[in-house]
Amino acid sequence: MGIFDRYFSEYSFDEMVDGNARCRPHWQAICERIEAVGIDALKAHQAEIDWSLEENGVTYNVYDAPGGNTKRRWTLDPIPFVVTQSEWDDVAKGIKQRAKIYDLMFRDLYGDQMLMRQGILPAEVVFSHKGYAPEVFDFAGKKNFELFFYATDIARGPDGKFWVVNDRVQAPSGLGYAIENRLSMNLVAKSLYPGVNTRRLARFVEEMKGLIDRLAGGDRAKAALLTPGPFNETYFEHAYLSSLLDISLVQGDDLLVKDGTLWLKNLSGLTQIDTLLRRVDDRYCDPLELRSDSHLGVAGLLDVARREHLSMINPIGSGLLENPALNPFMESIAHFFLDEELLLPQIATWWCGQPNELEYVLEHMDSLIIKPINRGNASEIYSGRKMNEQARKTLRKQMIATPYAFVAQEEIGFSTVPSFTGETIEPRNAVIRAFSFKRDSSYWVMNGGLVRVSTQKDAFLVSSQKGGTSKDLWIVGDDMERPPIDPFKQVPCDIASIDKVPTRRAENLYWLGRYLCRAIMTTRLIRYTLKGQINTYREDTAASDIPRHQLLWAITHMTMTYPGFLDEKNKTVMKYPMKEISSLLKDQSRPGSLAYTITMLSGVNLNIRNLLGIEAWKLFDKLQEEWQAFSGTGTMQNRSIVNRMDQLHVRLLAFKELLEESVFREQGLVIYEIGFRIESALLLISKARSLICLRHEKAVEYELLEALLNSCESFNAYRACYHSALQQENVVAFMLLNPQFPKSLMYQTHKLLEDLKALPKAKAKMAEYESPLFLAYTRLKSVTADALTRTDETGSVYSELEALLAELSDLYLKASDEFTKTYFSHYDE
Amino acid sequence: MIYTIFHETIFHYQGTVTFSHNIARLKPKEGVEQSLLDFRLDVEPNASEIHVFEDMFGNSNHHLLLREPHTELKVTGRSKVRRNIDQIAAAVAHLRSTPMDYAEALQRLSGFHPKDIAAKQFLFESELIPVGIDPIRDYALESFRPKRTLFEAGEELMGRIFDDFEFESGFSDITTPVEIIFEEKKGVCQDFAHFALSALRSIGLPARYVSGYIETIPPEGEEKLFGADASHAWVSLYIPGAGWLDLDPTNNVIPIEQHIVLGHGRDYHDISPLKGVVRSSGSSHLSVMVDVRRSAEIETPVQQRQLQFFDEELKQQQNQNQ
Repeated sequence: MGIFDRYFSEYSFDEMVDGNARCRPHWQAICERIEAVGIDALKAHQAEIDWSLEENGVTYNVYDAPGGNTKRRWTLDPIPFVVTQSEWDDVAKGIKQRAKIYDLMFRDLYGDQMLMRQGILPAEVVFSHKGYAPEVFDFAGKKNFELFFYATDIARGPDGKFWVVNDRVQAPSGLGYAIENRLSMNLVAKSLYPGVNTRRLARFVEEMKGLIDRLAGGDRAKAALLTPGPFNETYFEHAYLSSLLDISLVQGDDLLVKDGTLWLKNLSGLTQIDTLLRRVDDRYCDPLELRSDSHLGVAGLLDVARREHLSMINPIGSGLLENPALNPFMESIAHFFLDEELLLPQIATWWCGQPNELEYVLEHMDSLIIKPINRGNASEIYSGRKMNEQARKTLRKQMIATPYAFVAQEEIGFSTVPSFTGETIEPRNAVIRAFSFKRDSSYWVMNGGLVRVSTQKDAFLVSSQKGGTSKDLWIVGDDMERPPIDPFKQVPCDIASIDKVPTRRAENLYWLGRYLCRAIMTTRLIRYTLKGQINTYREDTAASDIPRHQLLWAITHMTMTYPGFLDEKNKTVMKYPMKEISSLLKDQSRPGSLAYTITMLSGVNLNIRNLLGIEAWKLFDKLQEEWQAFSGTGTMQNRSIVNRMDQLHVRLLAFKELLEESVFREQGLVIYEIGFRIESALLLISKARSLICLRHEKAVEYELLEALLNSCESFNAYRACYHSALQQENVVAFMLLNPQFPKSLMYQTHKLLEDLKALPKAKAKMAEYESPLFLAYTRLKSVTADALTRTDETGSVYSELEALLAELSDLYLKASDEFTKTYFSHYDE
Repeated sequence: MIYTIFHETIFHYQGTVTFSHNIARLKPKEGVEQSLLDFRLDVEPNASEIHVFEDMFGNSNHHLLLREPHTELKVTGRSKVRRNIDQIAAAVAHLRSTPMDYAEALQRLSGFHPKDIAAKQFLFESELIPVGIDPIRDYALESFRPKRTLFEAGEELMGRIFDDFEFESGFSDITTPVEIIFEEKKGVCQDFAHFALSALRSIGLPARYVSGYIETIPPEGEEKLFGADASHAWVSLYIPGAGWLDLDPTNNVIPIEQHIVLGHGRDYHDISPLKGVVRSSGSSHLSVMVDVRRSAEIETPVQQRQLQFFDEELKQQQNQNQ
């Protein structure tokens, strides 16, 4: 029995099987080959495709997955969707015509509005749609205010022709997935379907590059792809397309507007951007003029377009064309603009904003699909047939209140296509997304597309958000182009240069260094303090409360969680410190707490996720999970808390190591190191001020010196250096002034000065941020431990030491301020 | 009638701002009803760039880029506006005599009329004004009864809002939903305007938000203090084929003499006097000072209306206040 026997007997309206239960000619080769190799071979090929997609990191983010954002692996069926060349040529003609009409309509509605003024299109269809952007009401005459890119979803209707299901113009997705699908299919096509020739996609990509070059005046460095960022559902595609098209991938924060021009922020300065392939939706592009709550855009972007210093694919405002209420008027619009009949049939649509139409729709709700004119959730698409009485009543009420906001469409039985489910081959509904872009005054249609397949038969909704697989679209015919030389060859490795590091990445790396250092140092100090508490209880031999108190104060100072242990009004906080310590560990909303620092760390990590290896990711996820679980538990014994902190400490260090060994210095690791060193210096100074600046009796001082060394994990190193007992003078020499010990202030300062020289703005003359560090360095050079720890008998403070540390603290803060201003703000350029 | 208007808006920031994009809409709109005799915009600290453009509603927008470190941004508009009383009164009289009733208006609006196109953008929900809920709709329908002209019905609706709602500042802010205003029956001029818009649009009539000023007169025998005024808001109802009818529900008057229009929009957001985007960690707040005063009826020749004009005027006013 053949694989397809059951399929042939159960088909209804199918791509492969015709009305007489025979395989259509253009499917013959595919069908025979699958029969010949068998299900097991198909499974093997599926596995190969899965592996390829996974290797290439092809993912799709799902918004409403339980537990937040989830990456879903992209899936691809080894059986393609096959269309003949001659049929596709007809479809392409229809797509070209439709794209042209949409382009003309776009400029009419943001210009003369002849369609409305001549009564061809009701004004309500336009003004009630949320895609209409009053902000660009007069942009039609502006340079490059055109629909450069147009995507349309099509499916085969009952008359055997392809019908238009949706038009997508704002920021259509899918092109990257379509190309990746083709590359993955190429892996198996030779062995699975030898002799089947399909039209290539490479030409389309080359032509796209040509379009971008034209818009950017021949300088592709001036073009960029604007993405909402890694959380977007199709982020994979944004990264993929930008590398394929050889343009920068940017987020709103990478850009700024001045001189009526858009600029990209790099460590070396600003470079102009005049062309955007836009994947951020219209209303999110500019918080100044569009949605003020958007963090995805650039303030002033719209004004750059208003002043004609920016071309966008597609321009802001194009969202108004994604309106199914345009459908009923498309025939007249086609006549108005081109004096032509529409070539591609569309689904019969009634716009409820007209009284007669509303009446008809309300009477025939049972047999219609009803949806809002504004794109929203798939759940807002109603099938009258499947609705219960209550739901129908609610919908009816909404439709009467705001009839203009609804359309009704005929329910169409689209064709099915054989689909491999992993075990069997079954008929599934499918929708093709076809892509076209404007060249001169006409449109160029890709010889292929993205096919999305429903999860079940008869599901009239096909959405990548809802699951379901995808297919490659094969246009087959005789007059095949010669396959070009490997069109998708790897772009040669770009020599990483620190000059080109985007500012946003640099800023995140800087804070990664600072937060990571802060997390590690905080963990160490609190852990050491807790261990001391345990020992005190056990031995009950504490000679004095002073060291314990000094340590608690040091925690408050170092984490800057005032008043904390310094709260004079709170009498019990010193006696029963666990409540405060617990808050410092677990309270995520409290700046300075460990939980807060880890959250901030997680935030900056997310922003540079592309830079970190998968191992680093897994590790950090685990670390965060563990800490969250710990934060959620109630009171614990100190000993268990210490165990948890040991675990956290090890994870943080492992993360640090993975990070440092996997990122190039030129990719920005040097910025991370600068952040780490500045933080480490500041925290060391703070600790030293709290722990070793006050004079006490020898035994107490001894404990405090030990605390300083131990909480810096430097006790053994000290012992290796000085074979004597702990002495104030030696500890100061070791932790502050030693030029060889990597944790000493001297060493860190020296390294910082070296690191800074590697940066683009380092000049022969010392930069603003360098001079305080240089001053710090010379101060450290010019003092001796002996002088710093000398006091007269009566003094209670090592005043020289305290004065030096205070001065150094100011210098470091100043250096940090100047550094961030110089490299991250760009506001004075 | 000629008015001089002083409108100062200040953003106070918690932290220092070194870079910010802002849009100021402080230049009064010109039209048949009023002419702009003079206007000046001052920005402190100095804006490094100013770009002026007109939006879809005909309002003048000043796009300001600030690049000097500052903790306070002060944008001040000083204008001199002539209200063309005769034209306004004639227009109102024409609207009053327009016989169109509610049913006729709906009938006309549901069809195609080139003249109505521009008005139809004020027919739908906007950012701050969602589709009117049933009780709001019913409230509006009480006034828009059959056989009654739109003018009469609109005037009555205005009067009912004036009677039913209490003026209470501090109760609401610009984000307070219209439904809450309706439920509590209190608020300030923006709230009443938003409520009226919600009511009118919910019954299918185009209506727009008017931002502007109103002249206030101090009690008998008292000197008017400088800056004691406030910006004002009211609504404008479209009477198909005839034009726009301004209605001020806060004062229960049809604006003629004492109102000065700043601009129009679908709601407050379209014509907020100053908005900006800053990259700063702290919060910010806005303070406003407005002064509206009648000027002598004599028009200053254009040549003499030079830049110094307002400074002198201000000095005089301040001297008077002392």
